[in-house]
Amino acid sequence: MSYKVAVIGDIDTATGFALAGVSYTYVHADKDGTLAKLAEFMASEEIGLVLITHPIAEELGAEFRQVMRLKKLLPVILRIPDKTGYMPKVDELYELIKRAVGAEIVVRAEEG
Amino acid sequence: MAAVAAAVVTPTRMELLRLRRRVGLAQRGHDLLREKMDALVIEFFEVLRRIRDARVGALKQLSVAYRALSTCSAAMGTIETQQASKEARHELEVEVSARYIMGIAVPTLEVEKVERSALARGYSLHTTSSLLDEASREFEKALGLLVELAELEESARAIARELEKTKRRVNALEYLVIPRLKATLKFIMMRLDEMERENFLRLKRIKAMLEARA
Amino acid sequence: MNIDRVLKFELARLNVHLPEQRISLRDALSSKRPGVKVRDGGIHAFKRGELDFLAKTIPEVDWGRLYLPILIALDPKLGRGAARITGEAEARAISQILGKKGKEELLIYRPEVAIIRRKLPTTTQYFFVPG
Repeated sequence: MSYKVAVIGDIDTATGFALAGVSYTYVHADKDGTLAKLAEFMASEEIGLVLITHPIAEELGAEFRQVMRLKKLLPVILRIPDKTGYMPKVDELYELIKRAVGAEIVVRAEEG
Repeated sequence: MAAVAAAVVTPTRMELLRLRRRVGLAQRGHDLLREKMDALVIEFFEVLRRIRDARVGALKQLSVAYRALSTCSAAMGTIETQQASKEARHELEVEVSARYIMGIAVPTLEVEKVERSALARGYSLHTTSSLLDEASREFEKALGLLVELAELEESARAIARELEKTKRRVNALEYLVIPRLKATLKFIMMRLDEMERENFLRLKRIKAMLEARA
Repeated sequence: MNIDRVLKFELARLNVHLPEQRISLRDALSSKRPGVKVRDGGIHAFKRGELDFLAKTIPEVDWGRLYLPILIALDPKLGRGAARITGEAEARAISQILGKKGKEELLIYRPEVAIIRRKLPTTTQYFFVPG
């Protein structure tokens, strides 16, 4: 099945991905507005992938994390860097590894 | 932690057989689930390895794209660039299908041929420059890589969830259920032995009494 | 006891990802959307790259004999870390990929399982041997 793509970011992120053909872009202004837009994207049957920048996802905080936890299979959500290249200190994936497999294995994974 | 045998259990042969069967089942279940857990670990680390590589490529391409965009804005003007992005065609689609890794379905995402010609992109050619094409192309490339990354990260989350659940089952069986069943089994066997001994002694006494009378 | 019900449920789920019917490599190659119907109702898609790789790896006469997905059988009786590849054509293909001398019933070990899963993520599946 085919789905559309949505992007939540600053004006440059939105512009860039719009040029690439993304159907829905939203420029973040305030937390409430963006949370509402995110909910709209998540509820849409059309959208299969939502890209959101790291700084915005961080700003949305606990509500965003809850969306990630409770969401269904689609749309897929991916956090991407914006033009500053900012990445959060805590890597969600790293936390996932620790929880799923156990701390000792994490050390081995880093070496491997 | 010492395994405590169940308090209410009737020490009969029947119960012994039932319990033996349950221990066998639980052991078999544990071994199978442990195989599943081991397999999930293989899958998990493989997908993590691919994520590590995919992230490097995607992030590099994304920063190239952002740079191309700012070059374009500097030359063409920010407003003009944003205007062009509004005029561009916004019909990009991802094809979603499922694949199964053991009991879990993970999505596979495939972008339909992302890179398009300037004409296909849709913005009016006469007001735009090749820098706009460049920015568009770099973002298209970035999008392709990000779609792959999205598929991988989603798979990792699904596998991690299943791995945790399976690990919990394996541990519950190994450290709680099976020891408890085995302790109960031991208890029943002991009681049965005891009862047999008591019975034997009683019969001996009766025999002695009968012989004394005779 | 609650654990019995959970155990039964988990064991029933073990092989739910396996298809009702497998298809031959030949049929998969000629299909527009190669894949199989899975027991829980969904469709599992084979990646075309893997099909082409398999086609290159085995002789064409085997294309009709090799059935997908190739099953990696996990049986606790084999011991932890060991797996079996069933099927002649399948075993030959896997032996070829791993660079081993082929036999009909092939036993492979954890690192080799990892290699096969890396090369053929959608055209192989784990099979948990009940019994």
